[in-house]
Amino acid sequence: MTIPLLSLIVFLPVAGAAVLMCLCNDDAVRWTALGFTVVDLVLAVAMLAAFDTTTHEMQFTEKHPWVPAIGITYTLGVDGISALFVFLTALLGWICVLASWVAIDRKVKEFMISLLSMQALMLGVFCALDLFLFYVCWEAMLIPMYLIIGVWGGAGRVYAAFKFFLYTLAGSLVFLIGVIVLYFHGGETFDILALTAQDLPFDVQSWLFFAFLIAFAVKVPMVPVHTWLPDAHVQAPTAGSIILAGVLLKMGAYGFLRFSLPMLPEASVYYSTLMLALSALAIVYGGLLALAQDDLKKLVAYSSISHMGFVTMGIFALNLRGLEGGILQMFNHGVTTGALFLFVGVIYERTHTRSIADYGGLMKVAPVYTGFLALFTLSSMALPGTNSFVGELLVLSGGFAANMAVGTAAVLGALLSAAYLLGMYRKVALGPASVGARYEIRDVNAREMAAILPLAVFVLWVGFYPKPFLDVIDVSVKNLLTEVHGKGSGQ
Amino acid sequence: MTGAVLLQWVLASLPEIIVITGACILLILGQLMRAGQEHLLVSASVAIVLIAALATLMLAGEVRPAYSGMFVADRFAVFFKFVFYLATVLTFLLSRKYADIEGIGSSEYYVMLLFALSGMMIMASATDLLSIYVGLELMVLCTYVLTGFLRHERRSNEAALKYVILGAVSTGIFLYGVSLVYGLTGTTQLDAMAAAVSGDPLDPGLLLAVVFIVAGLVFKVGAVPFHMWVPDVYEGAPTTITAFMSVGPKAAGFAVILRVFLNPLVAASDVWIIVAVIAVVTMALGSFVALVQDNIKRLLAYSSIAHAGFATFGVVAGGADGVASVMLYLLIYAFMNLGIFGAVIMMRNGDFSGEVIEDYAGFAKSHPGLALLMLIYLFSLAGIPPTAGFFAKFYVLVALVEQGFVVLAVIAVLLSAVAAYFYIRIVMVIYMREPERAFEPALTPLVRATLFCTAAGTIGIGLFPAWFLRLAQQSAFGG
Repeated sequence: MTIPLLSLIVFLPVAGAAVLMCLCNDDAVRWTALGFTVVDLVLAVAMLAAFDTTTHEMQFTEKHPWVPAIGITYTLGVDGISALFVFLTALLGWICVLASWVAIDRKVKEFMISLLSMQALMLGVFCALDLFLFYVCWEAMLIPMYLIIGVWGGAGRVYAAFKFFLYTLAGSLVFLIGVIVLYFHGGETFDILALTAQDLPFDVQSWLFFAFLIAFAVKVPMVPVHTWLPDAHVQAPTAGSIILAGVLLKMGAYGFLRFSLPMLPEASVYYSTLMLALSALAIVYGGLLALAQDDLKKLVAYSSISHMGFVTMGIFALNLRGLEGGILQMFNHGVTTGALFLFVGVIYERTHTRSIADYGGLMKVAPVYTGFLALFTLSSMALPGTNSFVGELLVLSGGFAANMAVGTAAVLGALLSAAYLLGMYRKVALGPASVGARYEIRDVNAREMAAILPLAVFVLWVGFYPKPFLDVIDVSVKNLLTEVHGKGSGQ
Repeated sequence: MTGAVLLQWVLASLPEIIVITGACILLILGQLMRAGQEHLLVSASVAIVLIAALATLMLAGEVRPAYSGMFVADRFAVFFKFVFYLATVLTFLLSRKYADIEGIGSSEYYVMLLFALSGMMIMASATDLLSIYVGLELMVLCTYVLTGFLRHERRSNEAALKYVILGAVSTGIFLYGVSLVYGLTGTTQLDAMAAAVSGDPLDPGLLLAVVFIVAGLVFKVGAVPFHMWVPDVYEGAPTTITAFMSVGPKAAGFAVILRVFLNPLVAASDVWIIVAVIAVVTMALGSFVALVQDNIKRLLAYSSIAHAGFATFGVVAGGADGVASVMLYLLIYAFMNLGIFGAVIMMRNGDFSGEVIEDYAGFAKSHPGLALLMLIYLFSLAGIPPTAGFFAKFYVLVALVEQGFVVLAVIAVLLSAVAAYFYIRIVMVIYMREPERAFEPALTPLVRATLFCTAAGTIGIGLFPAWFLRLAQQSAFGG
């Protein structure tokens, strides 16, 4: 009998949450949560180590009947694309625990339980090979995330939590109808692989494409359904922001990769120009909005919208470079933006202000902090040698191949990102030390360092030697492309 | 009529006979009871229901028609009877402490509930418009009385009076429809009705009759446009009775609706268009009006209107899956709605009414366990996985899409997104506000047991729906 590795990875955080329920000491809760998330990361690494990069077939598959009467199964499995995100989720999991170590000082147990259930559900989304199971994980996530924002968030948390909940719910419910329609068109099965193999008529594909688009676009988020994101980010506690930016946003893009492209290839090709235009809009508009922000978190949130525009642009360029760049950029964005939110959280714990105008000359009082901040800021604006450069370059070259105008707009967006990120860094880190006079600023401590260092390693690793990461996704992406073009326009 | 036939008839209706006999005995014994022995009433009532449940289970093996085609004990009826047993037993368990607090602990309370139960059981088994009428009246007469059981409270009296007057009108309309059907087809039996009409099913007279019957039945489940009584009655009635009415009589109404609407005669007359409109309007009204309620009983009243609307979508879908989806929906709804009402009942303690949503502010801080239970019920009512409420809605949507009603399915989900707002608003008050005053919920072991049972059902069916789904599918007729 083989070990059900994916089930272990998915259910370990659930087990952790169950253990936490029996604890009552806050410190014990923190250490237990950390222990479970670290073990989960180890399991994810083990999964990657055993992953076969030469095949696009699903690996580590498990299949058990769940509701046989209507063809629902419990099926897990990963290909190159999902394996990368399982790893990313597990990587950010324990960093979230570290980021909440002192920031969360009331209802610690409940917070960690929410955090661990979030992690289990996110891993479930990336591992699920049954559409029903996918949907259950996808939507069940609303409960812990609603609580994380609404209970432990900032002053406007209730409004932000409602906005997040209702936006996502409305999008998901239309997706649910799409899923059921797909179920009846695809021979009454929820098996994702079987549904992928179906050939649907074009008009059905079109309807489904838009049903799916609503759900995924809200999650990504694409302009014009992005307005929940700044509110949610600003109000969420640091760990919530890291999860949102690091993983939750990726699920929308993952939805495009797992469902829209392979299941609805003709519609995806047909509407790709529309999607490219929306992506370019998000890149430029998000960048312009970020330029005008004074709140650190809001700035990073709007930059997320812009960066996720690169991701969707890469995906809907529908060529090898675009797709690989888009997927790599999803991973990079998770690492870099996760780190940036972590940095905002670290400084906020000391000063309790996020307004850029309140800061200045931080380099003099916290040199290590500003040093790493520089690294991640440069990574976010895609400086060569950092992870985002590789991803963004691939996306741009794919984007130009697909559509000249959109590629040009994206370059403009990349310029904008340099403007707002460098501007932010200048105001916060350089100049006279205005902040030191008012606040006691300590540099990063060992706990914060432990959270920052691994992310910094990935920034440089992907920046200088992206091959291992591209190898993981390569075969799956090529297979995805043959599915799109083979069944689609016949290119 | 031979003895053997009579025996068969008695066997078919044995659970009903047990409940009615038990209720009569309890009525007499209740008069002999001394003060301070109220717990015996609860035990005796629960025992009666359990014996009836046992009898139902033992006789569930085969279809038993009885009383010359007026009554049938089939799997469909058995499924509904178990929903009724569940609702009644949990109501008994919740009533014990609440009855003490409100001072309504007389034996009539329990006897009335048992008679209402027998009425619902007859409704589930009835295959003739007249036996439906008998069951219906038995049930509603008891609920009229129970609604007004808080004799010293104006609200309760007002509710009962409104309920009686509106209920009587709707029953009259129903009976008028029945008489029209009899005049046109010469029978009131559901099966014979269909056979009698071989000609044009769109005969205007028949259509009129169908509309009258629909109106009478829709009143009982509280669907628009016959919903006006629901908020007032739910608010005024003792909360235990509100809990009971929102689950039991509503399920009984749907049992009859399924039998009548899916009858070939009614199905042929394009009545589904009316039903579809009713479903959409009901759900919209329930969801939107609930948004602005501050009293939790009124809010749950509108929520129950919205849920009736969603279940009606399953009736629109029809077919085996449609019927099964309504049945599963009602079963799951019984668990989650009795759960949330159990929590509301528990809040009533001393001089604290616990009826305003703001009363729950900071509840999570003072009672984290109970708050978690309420969270489960509320998210289940909102239809968020992995709770059972999601699966109930999901299956109704599957049935709708299967029949090609994709647009209706989209309307249904968008309205349930609206409905989600007022459920999570309560969650917000519980979890994200600071407590304003300290209070002690009226928790007894019986209430605890009820809450545990409903929470287990809400989560359990959500995670492992397979068995319950198969049960509903096997119990649905027409498949």
